[in-house]
Amino acid sequence: MKIEIKKYGDKLVSRPSGREAFLAMESYILKDLPKNESIEIDFSGVKALTPSWADEVITKIAEKFENVKLLNTENATVQATLKTLREYSDLKI
Amino acid sequence: MNEENIEKLAHEWITAPADKIDIESEYFCQTRDVFEARNNRTPETLIKGGIDKSLAYIIYAMSGELGNNSFDHNLGNWPDIPGAFFAFDYDGKNGCLIIADRGIGVLNSLRKALPNLKDDKEALEIAFTKKISSRVLENRGNGLKFIKSNVLEKNLFLQFISGKAQVSLNHEMKLSETENPIKGCLAILKF
Repeated sequence: MKIEIKKYGDKLVSRPSGREAFLAMESYILKDLPKNESIEIDFSGVKALTPSWADEVITKIAEKFENVKLLNTENATVQATLKTLREYSDLKI
Repeated sequence: MNEENIEKLAHEWITAPADKIDIESEYFCQTRDVFEARNNRTPETLIKGGIDKSLAYIIYAMSGELGNNSFDHNLGNWPDIPGAFFAFDYDGKNGCLIIADRGIGVLNSLRKALPNLKDDKEALEIAFTKKISSRVLENRGNGLKFIKSNVLEKNLFLQFISGKAQVSLNHEMKLSETENPIKGCLAILKF
């Protein structure tokens, strides 16, 4: 399963909008998937990402599934956000 | 409006008596939606002014974290005026972005999770350096660490005041008492 983050917007900033995105993912694309499903999170096309948004989505996906890969993470805000989450939010991917 | 004027306006906004606040001001965002809509234009405005594209989005992300913090930590608890002051200026060489709120401040916010915190200084140190969230039901709250990391990495400057304490951040973090205490939070980012 590949999740294209840009489908939820290209400027991903607030915690409430992250929550909304995760609810939509849970209802439509993550529903009934087994824990060992391979999940690819693709950041291509994302202009800005913050720890608040990502904590509501990326951290939760990483807690829910065992095989999560991050793709196209070159954007500076994506890099900075992932660094913060790995350091302070126990993100293991 | 230039840098000096927006700083002055922000100080006035955060220290004025509640009945003197200009809630019609173009810099006042009463709700998160208003802040988000205005902040959403920040990167394109900066890019148009000639700033590096990657830096513009970093500044936008930092601004988003600061502004959303105001609403995340004060929703339903505003002592007087709900909302945030938000303004920025870029003259093609130097820029300044300010976010301020008249909320409960970092100390009162963190005390919900850490009741033994002794003062504003200790609260700011924890907010900028330790893994903690003051929203009791969320074990999260990484916005200020993200900001600190970007300020250090991109060689920016941040002054962050809450209560009687302030953090000055560029290549290192300095924590001190401020001569002009405020209620709530005031963040001044220079780039």
